[in-house]
Amino acid sequence: VNKLFSGFGKKPGLRRPIIVVSGLPRSGTSMMMKILAEGGLPVVVDQSRTADEDNPNGYFELELVKRMSDGHIEWLANASGKVVKVISGLLEHLPQEYSYKVIFMEREINEILASQRKMLAHRNEELKSNDVEIEQQFQRHLSALKPWLARRPNMEVLYVSYNAFMANPELLCRRLIEFTDIPLDLGRMLSVPNRDLYRNRTSRT
Amino acid sequence: MKTLILGFDSFDAAVFEEMAGKNQLPNFEKFIQQSGYSRLEVCSPPQTEVSWTSIATGADPGGHGIFDFVHRDPVTYTPYVSILPMRKSALGEQFVPPYTAKTLFEEAADLGYPATALWWPAMFPARPDVPVNTLPGLGTPDIRGQLGVGALFSTEDETRKKTRLTKLVSAGKDRFTAALEGPQTQSRSGPQTISLPIIVDVIDGKTARLFVDKQQVDLRLGEWSDIVELRFKAGMLFNVHAITRFIATSLGRVVRLYCLPLQIHPLHSTWHYASSNSFSKKLWKEVGPYLTLGWPQDTTGLEEGCISDDQFLDLCQKIFDRRIQILSFLLNDFREGVLASIFDDLDRIQHMFFHDRMDVVQGWYKRLDQFVGQVNKRLETWSSKYRYLILSDHGFSDFRNKVHLNRWLLENDFLRMQNGGNDLGSVDWTNTRAYAVGLNSIYLNVSGREGQGIVQADELEGLLTSIREKLLGWKDASGDSVIQRIRPKHEVYSGPYTRFGPDLVVGYASGYRASADTGLGKIPAISMEPNTDHWGADHCMDSDVVPGVIFANRDLSDFGTISFRDIPFLAIGKHLDQSNLKPPSQAAGEGQKELEERLKGLGYL
Repeated sequence: VNKLFSGFGKKPGLRRPIIVVSGLPRSGTSMMMKILAEGGLPVVVDQSRTADEDNPNGYFELELVKRMSDGHIEWLANASGKVVKVISGLLEHLPQEYSYKVIFMEREINEILASQRKMLAHRNEELKSNDVEIEQQFQRHLSALKPWLARRPNMEVLYVSYNAFMANPELLCRRLIEFTDIPLDLGRMLSVPNRDLYRNRTSRT
Repeated sequence: MKTLILGFDSFDAAVFEEMAGKNQLPNFEKFIQQSGYSRLEVCSPPQTEVSWTSIATGADPGGHGIFDFVHRDPVTYTPYVSILPMRKSALGEQFVPPYTAKTLFEEAADLGYPATALWWPAMFPARPDVPVNTLPGLGTPDIRGQLGVGALFSTEDETRKKTRLTKLVSAGKDRFTAALEGPQTQSRSGPQTISLPIIVDVIDGKTARLFVDKQQVDLRLGEWSDIVELRFKAGMLFNVHAITRFIATSLGRVVRLYCLPLQIHPLHSTWHYASSNSFSKKLWKEVGPYLTLGWPQDTTGLEEGCISDDQFLDLCQKIFDRRIQILSFLLNDFREGVLASIFDDLDRIQHMFFHDRMDVVQGWYKRLDQFVGQVNKRLETWSSKYRYLILSDHGFSDFRNKVHLNRWLLENDFLRMQNGGNDLGSVDWTNTRAYAVGLNSIYLNVSGREGQGIVQADELEGLLTSIREKLLGWKDASGDSVIQRIRPKHEVYSGPYTRFGPDLVVGYASGYRASADTGLGKIPAISMEPNTDHWGADHCMDSDVVPGVIFANRDLSDFGTISFRDIPFLAIGKHLDQSNLKPPSQAAGEGQKELEERLKGLGYL
């Protein structure tokens, strides 16, 4: 009987995936959000953190993302087909019932740490760990996160190198359009990458 | 969903990587270029039936219950073949499925997709209640319900250890007769063997004619016959059908004829051979006859000198070719679902040639590479997205020394014998604390669990530690460690069946393996002996010694270590067992707090 009715149990994806921009803090996630927004992708944000010296184009954040571990996930119901920023440490709190296309920003770790140091200074936060320790912890975090992401049945991941992106934005913007499977405006996307904001590079590219 | 899985039993990572380094396997190498190759972490112990079941279920033996090729009845200490369990019912003794854990095939079927598993081990008997098409692999018995040995007919008085010997009796010039023994039936006077008379006419030194069951089979010296269908009359209305192949191996002064184990006829099986019946019949009729025994490559015939190396290899080739034809036939109509096929000739060839004929072994890797090239070409025409996996259940290693583990346990005062005897029936259980049954298993003689158990609960940990430490310190005459790793079951297994598993899982170092005697609980006179058998290589060692491989048409580089637990996810996009998937915050280990402090400082938490 099961064979006779094979095919009837299939569950097609009812909702479009949620686009997630992720990565370590200061890996270029805000820039990626801005690019996708310019391309025409609706963003899921609030105004909890506005543009400042560290992110002159804005943070593109949603405060509720930080509270997913407390069960605040109701906002995801309206996020299908939109883009939201979720830093790498919070990805594991994304609920399983949705599907996600994750654009994961990767950047030279020294650049990330340099940028974080500056940002901590601007926020008058003290450095509780030295760079060597925190680099090891970030590396451990990434080496646990990537295999986990690879095994998520509801997450498709595109790794984007910030450094490569700044070197060849057009190629990578085209890849983004292909990955999101949404007809974004390439010309407007290309207007965003700003080499002037690429301030913490380890070497000239 | 559209997934093709090719299982290459025993495809060894080190052999592959060495040959790939010399550009000898171009079709496999393409997967490397696309980051679609990885070594595969296989389950413990790395035995064929255990490993393929773990791959199909994504669970370790604690989750499916097959721990070793041989299990034991704890009450009687009697060993039995784990993949061929029987249960007594009103209808007599019946084979029952060796496990019931959900496979990726069942999951795919539950999702509404057609699923097919060809020659997958431990899938006999078929389960008509499960909507998965199967032709079973390892574990499928012969028509006697056993794992199967062939029959040798000879004009000479000969002896063999396992093979059944029948004298060819002269019945005229160049004519010989004998009886081919078939299945047993129960009669009032007890079990009775049904036989078929055979007549062999030797035409010349290179050809002969065999008459059996009203059929004429023309034989050429050293060449296998086609598959012959036989019918044994078991009563007025009941026949037992069988299939086999014959080969004349000597037609000179001595006449020798060899017959493969009598195998289940898929069109007339008295057991649930395949699922569905119409599926196996369709393949038989539209593709051609195929051997059905779980281990059709007759290594015993080769080991015992009944057939030559070349005849054995020719048989492997024939089996391989027919399986390719069957898979190819099914690929013609494969639109969606899961289609998986195991090819196990390489395993048998490595058992027999890995230690001294690497040319033969490497030749087979090249054959598999050509086959993969053909499949790859075919897949280029597939338009929709699909998953494509090629994997092995374990690799291979030398088997230079046979370890008689029960003798070692005896020598180290964990086991005591009564006077005489060399098996578990002669053990003094009142003074025995541990014993070995199976190829990688040690059991403690636990009070309340074993029939004559003496080890109390508070002694378990100490005893496990003591055996572990002593075994890890065991060196052979040249100073090499015999054991690479030995772990208690709770360190290796998780899942509801864990408590039924062996108390210690023994991982032999490369070059060592438990003897077949150990597998059956026997206690020979010495603890180790050199292996001089034709069967000179194996994989029943520590799982780290014999990693498997996985090739995929997707990037595998982000997975880190890929294990058997990942296969259902890679095949059908779903984990069947999530118990080993830890979120990154738990998997990353120490430093998580400092990381959170940093993120809070930056305003991201």
